[in-house]
Amino acid sequence: MTTLETGRTVGAGIDRVDAPLKVTGAAHYPNDFSIPGMAHAALVGSTVAAGRIRGFDLSQAQAAPGVLTVITHLTAPQLERGPMTLLGGSPPAPLQDDRILHYGQHIAVVVAESAEQARHAARLVRVEYETEKAVLGIDDPRAQIVENPWGLDTDRGDIDAGFGQADVIVEDTYTTPDNTNNPLGLMATLAAWHGDALTVHDSTQWPHNVRTSLAAIFKVPESGVRVLAPFVGGGFGAGLRVWSHVILTVLAARQVKRPVKLVLTRPEMFTSVGHRPNSVQQIKIGATRAGDLVAIEHHGISSVAMEDDDYEPVSFGSAVAYACPNVLTRDRQARLNIPCPGSMRAPAEGQGNFALECAIDDVAHAVGMDPLEFRLRNYAEEHPLSGLPWSSKALRECYTEGAERFGWSRRNPEPGSMRDGRLLIGYGLAGVSYPFYQVPCQARASVRRDGSAHVRSAATDIGTGTYTVMTQLAAELLGLDVSQVRFDLGDSDMPYSPQAGGSGLTGALGNAVHTACRRLVQEFLDVVAGDAGSPLRGCLLDDVTVGDGRIHRVDDPAQGESYADILARHGLEELSADGRSTPPRSEDLGMAPAGAFGAKFVEVRIDPELGLLRVARVVSAIDGGRILNEKTAASQIIGGTVGGISQAMFEETATDAGTGRIANATFGDYLMPVNADVPDMEVLFLGGPDRATAVGTKGVGEIGLVGMAAAIGNAVFHATGRRIRSLPFTIDQLML
Amino acid sequence: MHPFEYTLADDADQAVAVVTADPHTSFLAGGTTQLDLMKDGVLSPERLVDITRLPLKGITHTDTAITVGALTTMEELAADPVVRERLPFVREALLLGASTQLRNMATIGGNLLQRARCRYFRDPTVPACNKRNPGSGCAAITGIHRMHAILGTSDHCIALHASDVAVPFAALDAVVHTQGGNGRRSIPLTQFYLPPDDTPNVENVLEHGELITAVEIPLLPAAARSHYIKVRDRVSYEFALVSAGVALVTEDGLIQEARVALGGVGTLPWRAWDAEDVLRGSRADTEAFRSAAEAALQGARPLPGTAFKVELAKRTLVRTLETVAGAQS
Repeated sequence: MTTLETGRTVGAGIDRVDAPLKVTGAAHYPNDFSIPGMAHAALVGSTVAAGRIRGFDLSQAQAAPGVLTVITHLTAPQLERGPMTLLGGSPPAPLQDDRILHYGQHIAVVVAESAEQARHAARLVRVEYETEKAVLGIDDPRAQIVENPWGLDTDRGDIDAGFGQADVIVEDTYTTPDNTNNPLGLMATLAAWHGDALTVHDSTQWPHNVRTSLAAIFKVPESGVRVLAPFVGGGFGAGLRVWSHVILTVLAARQVKRPVKLVLTRPEMFTSVGHRPNSVQQIKIGATRAGDLVAIEHHGISSVAMEDDDYEPVSFGSAVAYACPNVLTRDRQARLNIPCPGSMRAPAEGQGNFALECAIDDVAHAVGMDPLEFRLRNYAEEHPLSGLPWSSKALRECYTEGAERFGWSRRNPEPGSMRDGRLLIGYGLAGVSYPFYQVPCQARASVRRDGSAHVRSAATDIGTGTYTVMTQLAAELLGLDVSQVRFDLGDSDMPYSPQAGGSGLTGALGNAVHTACRRLVQEFLDVVAGDAGSPLRGCLLDDVTVGDGRIHRVDDPAQGESYADILARHGLEELSADGRSTPPRSEDLGMAPAGAFGAKFVEVRIDPELGLLRVARVVSAIDGGRILNEKTAASQIIGGTVGGISQAMFEETATDAGTGRIANATFGDYLMPVNADVPDMEVLFLGGPDRATAVGTKGVGEIGLVGMAAAIGNAVFHATGRRIRSLPFTIDQLML
Repeated sequence: MHPFEYTLADDADQAVAVVTADPHTSFLAGGTTQLDLMKDGVLSPERLVDITRLPLKGITHTDTAITVGALTTMEELAADPVVRERLPFVREALLLGASTQLRNMATIGGNLLQRARCRYFRDPTVPACNKRNPGSGCAAITGIHRMHAILGTSDHCIALHASDVAVPFAALDAVVHTQGGNGRRSIPLTQFYLPPDDTPNVENVLEHGELITAVEIPLLPAAARSHYIKVRDRVSYEFALVSAGVALVTEDGLIQEARVALGGVGTLPWRAWDAEDVLRGSRADTEAFRSAAEAALQGARPLPGTAFKVELAKRTLVRTLETVAGAQS
């Protein structure tokens, strides 16, 4: 493995390369596209959570102006369920029978000349239901329980013996509510058939998954299906799967033999594209009086849909966070009549870390130790499950340097002891060990006669900065200026890319781009291998380096020539090379591949009479491996931090007991922070390139969120002496 | 959205006549409530009469009152120099409401007529809503009602009146001037709204087609001090869990005059007459303020989801009174 040398381009906090397009409105998002002859679709959602459809009265809807067709399960063709994917099974195919499994389930699609006509007609569809009593609560005895859904339950040491050695045990129940991913861009699909060929614009985080799934569902060759998503208005996980509305749009386009566009409404976003499921967690931690962890036991149960899957091992993180000899983690799911949950930024970690890091603080408090000191004392120098050294871990530096920057030493350990007038002040922290995740990826790099490079892969940039960091990386690896490199993505006709998810894309794609660029340089060396006129004749890859648009010899940098000269002299218009990355494996490395680590420090101010909680400042100290762009990476952490504040203090998708209706499915009712709720946030990057891969990045897309709920909760405890174990922290919980 | 006809009115008499004549015709002003409810399918008028070109905009001043044209926007009223100087709690309530964009569209007349934020009212797929569908029941009472009222409720409706500015308006004895099919009238704001009782679909005393032309706001004595506090789940762009608007005139530590109204707790902007009775003639101290708060919430009928609001409203009122009293010491 040739690791990336630190260069001029990589790491620099340059502005986003796509920023001018975005700020001038020239970036076209899926719902910006129109095709001549295009019709519009609108969905009809079930207004009950369980039962059967007795019948429809479509007469008014079909007679409404502009309506082309109304498709229900009575008229829809039989559709196969989409294939198994890297992320588990596909959602069930829509409109296949009369059963209702959740509120908001798509039970009809109306196609009309305009979006307004389609939506109006959708409201005119009359449905008669045979309603059943819905199963809506995790604690409902009728709920089917799925044990150990992902085979990730862990047992280490002897948990009972561990608690037997404990001088102090804390044991509590934590709950987290449903949260809904709400990218600002409403999810949209535009589908156009040309015979058996299909072109789809879609708000997806994974174009290849859409291609593969639609080809399988509609039984057409994958090679004829093209999925485009050059710009996506945010995702947060909502775009990871081929949801029902995508399939229905493609189906509608086939039925009316015209291109069809469908844009979900905001309320439909709450029932159609996944959400973070609620959880109930029991956590029990034992420690000695000296402050050594001796046992951690963490049980989590999450809700899941009746006939779909979701990956939420909420307790698993507790198995890999600390050096503790006896650990037991268990995860279960309860099948309910709810819209299917799905990955929402930091799935599982976002919930599990809240319980773990609050409980750790409680243990530290119980043994009379500073919570920072307690975490450092129980620091996992090795991977707790495998015992292998980490491929990188600078969590200790995150704790110590973050504490220094934050001013942790000014914290008076006594709860309720720090005040500013009538306001109580609290300092809190939380640690995060984000799991490693990477899957295979491909990319192609070309250099053209004018010396410019074009690099591409079917990845997506959901606001994360993929365009920018991959441009920088390719420029570095090819020795070009950023202005000479174009990076394209978001087209399934490009080389295969996995999803933007799991904090895994930058690693997977970066290493594919690395390989492609190295191979491309090799291509040039191959061309000049026997070229008597080339100073690079006979050079091996390790003999050369790149810079200023040229390849030159390491031993004599004056000896070299430009890409353009080589191409011109050999009558070539361009050279291209493909690169492929595969995830590093611990058995090859002798190390445990590491994800990102972080320490979050928070100051809160609380008006105890009125229950008003404000986050006054945040310091996030992050080990994200190599940082490709310090500005976009910091933006990821800042955005994640806002998401974490939101999880801690605001977000709660409310479901009506009995009917299963989402009771707050609008931006007026589902609260997220406004700017005034968000303080200045400082981000420190610590550590260096990770040793597991050539590029050495670790994903930073999710770690910004994780730990905020616990750090704020710990700060609330410090300010008030009150431990709140149920998210979000609202006024009614905070009034003293 | 249900298709509708749109006409632009250039004459108030004619606009009133047109709307009065047809129960399926409505006025359209800033549209910040009306259009939302139409998009949500809660309202489906056949015709909208746009009144925004009528000469009902602007603020006039006398020594004792200001008169606000019904089409004056929230931002315009907040910027008025007399409001700024003599009625600071009106300005505070305005600027703590909605967002700048909405305040630039929303009119004062429309603000008073804003409809309930209740999600059961605003979702026509919910069968039980007495406000939307009289006699059908109230889903909110057994549902999620954290944002609902605890004062003035009935067994038929607990929807909150969510206006901020109506709170100081109620405290100030503002008067609503209207023009209707039967001519013009002036209605004290404290008699303008109707509690839900068993007809929550009837929210105020206006006849169909009766147009608010202006709101007259009596000025406080020059010695008065006022303040509005809004407690809510986020710092901005959110409705009140509870709010309090208070104006006091004190002399030598004794309260000469007290105006108290509450928001976020009532099915209508809640004038706290009992609290005023407690305060008038009392010393301006925390003990009196707490007694006033107890009196203000005497009739509260909380539900499980709103139980916390009783104490929160008391504390908010005490804080507001303390702030006003402190401001003049």
